[in-house]
Amino acid sequence: MKTKTLLPAAFLSPALIILAVLALVPTVYAIVISFEDRELSRPDGRFVGLDNYVSLFSDRRFLNAIQVSLTWEVLTVAATLVIAIGLGILMFECASPKARNVLSLLFLMPVILPRVSAAFVWKFAFHPLYGIITYPYKAITGQPLDLLSNPVTALGTVALVDVWQWGLFFSVIVLKLLETLPPQPFEAARLDHARPWEVYAYVALPMLKAPLISLAFVKMIESLRAFDLIYVMTRGGPGISTETLDMYAFSQGFIESGRISYASSMAVLMMIATSVAFTFIWKRAKV
Amino acid sequence: MRSMKTLVSSIAIACAFYGVAASVAAAAECSGTIRVLAQPRDGLTLLEKYKDEFTKLSGGADFQIDYLNENDRRAKTKADASTIGKYNVYYIDEANVALFASSGWVAPLLDYYPKDYDYADFDPGRQKVATFDGKVWFAPLTGGGDLMVYRKDLLEAAGIQPPKTLDEYIAAVKALNQPDKGIYGTALRGQRGSGANVWRWMPFFKGEGGNWFDGQTPAFDSDAAVKATQTYLELFKYSAPGSQTGGWDEAVGAFTSGQVAMLIESTPLVGMALDKKSSQVADKIGYLPPPTPLTGGGYGHGLAIGTKANADEASKQCAGLFIGWATSKENEARRLEEGQFSELNRTSIMTSKTFADTYGPALGQALADTGNVTAVNFWQNPQWPDLGDRWGIILEELITGTRTDIQGGLDELNDFAKDLVARGQ
Repeated sequence: MKTKTLLPAAFLSPALIILAVLALVPTVYAIVISFEDRELSRPDGRFVGLDNYVSLFSDRRFLNAIQVSLTWEVLTVAATLVIAIGLGILMFECASPKARNVLSLLFLMPVILPRVSAAFVWKFAFHPLYGIITYPYKAITGQPLDLLSNPVTALGTVALVDVWQWGLFFSVIVLKLLETLPPQPFEAARLDHARPWEVYAYVALPMLKAPLISLAFVKMIESLRAFDLIYVMTRGGPGISTETLDMYAFSQGFIESGRISYASSMAVLMMIATSVAFTFIWKRAKV
Repeated sequence: MRSMKTLVSSIAIACAFYGVAASVAAAAECSGTIRVLAQPRDGLTLLEKYKDEFTKLSGGADFQIDYLNENDRRAKTKADASTIGKYNVYYIDEANVALFASSGWVAPLLDYYPKDYDYADFDPGRQKVATFDGKVWFAPLTGGGDLMVYRKDLLEAAGIQPPKTLDEYIAAVKALNQPDKGIYGTALRGQRGSGANVWRWMPFFKGEGGNWFDGQTPAFDSDAAVKATQTYLELFKYSAPGSQTGGWDEAVGAFTSGQVAMLIESTPLVGMALDKKSSQVADKIGYLPPPTPLTGGGYGHGLAIGTKANADEASKQCAGLFIGWATSKENEARRLEEGQFSELNRTSIMTSKTFADTYGPALGQALADTGNVTAVNFWQNPQWPDLGDRWGIILEELITGTRTDIQGGLDELNDFAKDLVARGQ
């Protein structure tokens, strides 16, 4: 009887120990040094209490980074889901089974491409002088189109690449989810003269609520880790208009200042904010 | 004839190499792999062809070079040197030599650089930027100052003489700007960074008489900085698309693809613009020192000995031997033979007959002339990258129009500098 109760612990403990070493140690270390004034060139830091946290709220780049991160999160998650659901339904409704398979294969390719490679390819495609995407505009108007240097369009342009990777991938998942649904509710709706969009809006999508919420969560987490894409395409510019929180923390820690304590205080705040926000959204979604 | 010249120079290099090798090899007893963190350079790639030569010279050591682009290399070297220190040799530059030296992340080079490799042969300007606090910290792989490079065909067609003063330069840039014909007046650097947009802005700042600090007091919040920034922003109206958030690559790419009339850039541009393999304007360019009162941006990148990975004296000696060999006259001669203009740093190479035969006497003269106006424009202090990068962001905001108040930007930088100085103390 005793061995039965110890067995789960025996199986779990190696994984928990690895997790503790890999996740807990750096997290605790980050929290500890966030209360110090440690810099890369001066590793012997002093305890400064909440100074780093107080300084953050008068730092215009930090406040801007919060705004950019929130915009990025909302923009990429919403656009990815809209594209995924739209394309998924379109394929389910219009494409033959063979065409669906071919399209699924094509739509999976962008997400397989490494992020950094995708970012370089798209950065070049958006180049105002040589870019294939900007070329038609230049040919018609005679003016170059510099989307990544424009503070108004830069974030949206990078978001387009993110949505290209994840929206197409999710559309394949939505298609496969639609294929698993039983046909009877669809037939019943059509017998009741429901129009095609009503069939999906009032029958299919409510049936897929749980998996779609899961997809939204996966994308929310993934969007928080868009550092590589933004870093390659804009480096946070023009100015600070695409500088997200993780990018600003990295800049402060390693690129510009070497202020690892200050960067850690940002990381700790991000960790708290995301944990609270995700818990809140998860509980609301379950209701 | 070409193959005969190559054969003769190869024999000369081999003889010279074995002459030096014989004297340094007696002292060398190295083993294992010397790890180098660098940014891509043709000269380093060329070195990899001669790995066996170094193994023989060192008594058994090998080397491995990891490459990252400039900004990433700066971040990674800083992170590695301050933490685990797994690299024996770091690629550092004028902007961070003070930080690496004062933090003890690199060792004084001349203590370990074999004398036979003749450090004094390096161009004096490059030696100057490799020196901090009276000691030399790296051996140059690249460096120099600025040159004004222009399209002779476009200037002749417009009846414009190559400008000698800044006012003439601005007027010429405006006159030559013809976007409807796909030609832009100039190409500047807009991308944030002490080595990017700030680097190109600094000659205007220094040319206007600006100074970064007066002792420990920030002195850049001045009329000179305002005037320099106004001029820089004015020129950006005629700068090639993509340069507003672009750096060296974008500016050089726009020029060598034939879309820019004239620009002021670091000297390696000339080598790239003259190379018919990569330049569409190789037969059409002229070059002169920057127009007065602009100063040239003296710079230098090179290899330094890491202290953490080379904990004992023997390891430092081996790293020094690698650096000596990598930057030797013999390897520079190989670079010259390969047409790697930007990788040449030694006076003996740049004044050689082979150099004059390859690039013509005019380039040698232009390099000598620009040497007279080359200056150290940046603040030689460990905190320079921090200050320079912060100004880079404000400058990029001004260039792209996300802010418009130059004085406000300088005031913000001034406050930042005071805080920086206080933190440094």
